[in-house]
Amino acid sequence: MGSSSSFWNVAYRQAMKSGVFVAKVYSFLHVTTTYLAFPAVAFGPSMIPTLHPSGNVVLAERISTRSRKLSRGDVIVLQSPEDPNKIPIKRVIGLEGDCESFVVDPEKNDESRTIVVPKGHVWVQGDHTQNSRDSRIFGPLPYGLIRGRVLWRLWPFQDFGPIDDHNLKK
Amino acid sequence: MASSFWNIAYQQAMRSGVFVAKVYSFLHVTTNYLAFPAYAFGPSMIPTLHPSGNVVLAERISKPSRGDVVVFQSPEDPNKLPTKRVVGLEGDSVSFVVGPGKNDESRTIVVPKGHVWVEGDYIQNSRDSRIFGPVPYGLIQGRVLWRVWPFQDFGPIGPPTTT
Repeated sequence: MGSSSSFWNVAYRQAMKSGVFVAKVYSFLHVTTTYLAFPAVAFGPSMIPTLHPSGNVVLAERISTRSRKLSRGDVIVLQSPEDPNKIPIKRVIGLEGDCESFVVDPEKNDESRTIVVPKGHVWVQGDHTQNSRDSRIFGPLPYGLIRGRVLWRLWPFQDFGPIDDHNLKK
Repeated sequence: MASSFWNIAYQQAMRSGVFVAKVYSFLHVTTNYLAFPAYAFGPSMIPTLHPSGNVVLAERISKPSRGDVVVFQSPEDPNKLPTKRVVGLEGDSVSFVVGPGKNDESRTIVVPKGHVWVEGDYIQNSRDSRIFGPVPYGLIQGRVLWRVWPFQDFGPIGPPTTT
C-alpha cells in the first residue's frame, strides 16, 4: 500500500521536474528566437542563385529589423501581404522614398511602371525575377510584416557561407 | 568575514536575477500568445473608447471578424499601433466617401485576399483604411476584448453603438 503510493509520488515529482525544465528551455528558446535570431528553411526558385530551389536552411536575425536598420540589398524573411500563413524570403530593392521601375507582365509585353515606395514600406524582389512573386505583384511591403534579415546559409554544407548584398549597398 | 558577505550578496543577486528572468519569460510568452494590455487614446473610436484614454485588454487567439475592434501596426508607420474596428473582410465590397468635408464623391473597393478594412467608430476624425488602404492580416496584433480602466468604462467592447 505505502510503497505503491510513493511510486506515484516519485513519478509525479519527476514529471513535474521534467515539465518545469521543458518550460524553461522553451521560454529561453522563445525569447532568443523572438529577439535575437532564428533558423528558417527556404525553398523555391525565386531567390536563385542566392538560395537553392530544393532548399536551404538559413539563419535570420531580428536585431536589424527590430531597430529598423534595414538597407538596400538585405535579404529578408517576411509575412506575405497576400496570405498571412506564407513566409516568403526576398531581397530589399528599395526603401521608402525610392523610385522603383518594373516590367508589369514580362510575358505579355514590355510595359513598365514606376512607383515611389511610400513611407513605412519597402520594395522587395526575388533574385530570380522570372519566377518570383514579390512587390511587382503584391505591391510595397509594410515594415511591420518583416520578420528578420537573412545572415547566413547553414545547410547544405556546400552552400555554407554569408548572404551577399548584390552590390546594392552604396 | 568580508568575502563571505560578498558571497552571500552574490548568491542573493543571482537568485533574484533568475527569478526576474523567469517572471519576464512567463509574461513575455503570455503577452505574445494569449493576451496583452494596451492603452488607447484619441478621438477616432468615440463612443466605444474615450479620447482621453482607456486601458484595454486585447487577445491574440481569435481570427478577426467583421465588427471586431483590433490593435494593429500602422502600414504608414510601423512604430504606431492604432486601434480601429474591422468593417470589411477579404472579398467584401466597401464604399466610403473620399473627402467628407469637400464633397460627396464616394469610392467602392473590394478588400483583397489576406487583408481587412478598418475604420474608426468616429468617422469624422479617424485615420483608417479610407486613408492608408486595406491592412494585411500580418499587421494585426490582437482583438480588443475589454475596457479595463477607468472603472466607469469597465466592460466588454461590443458592436458599434448606433446614434
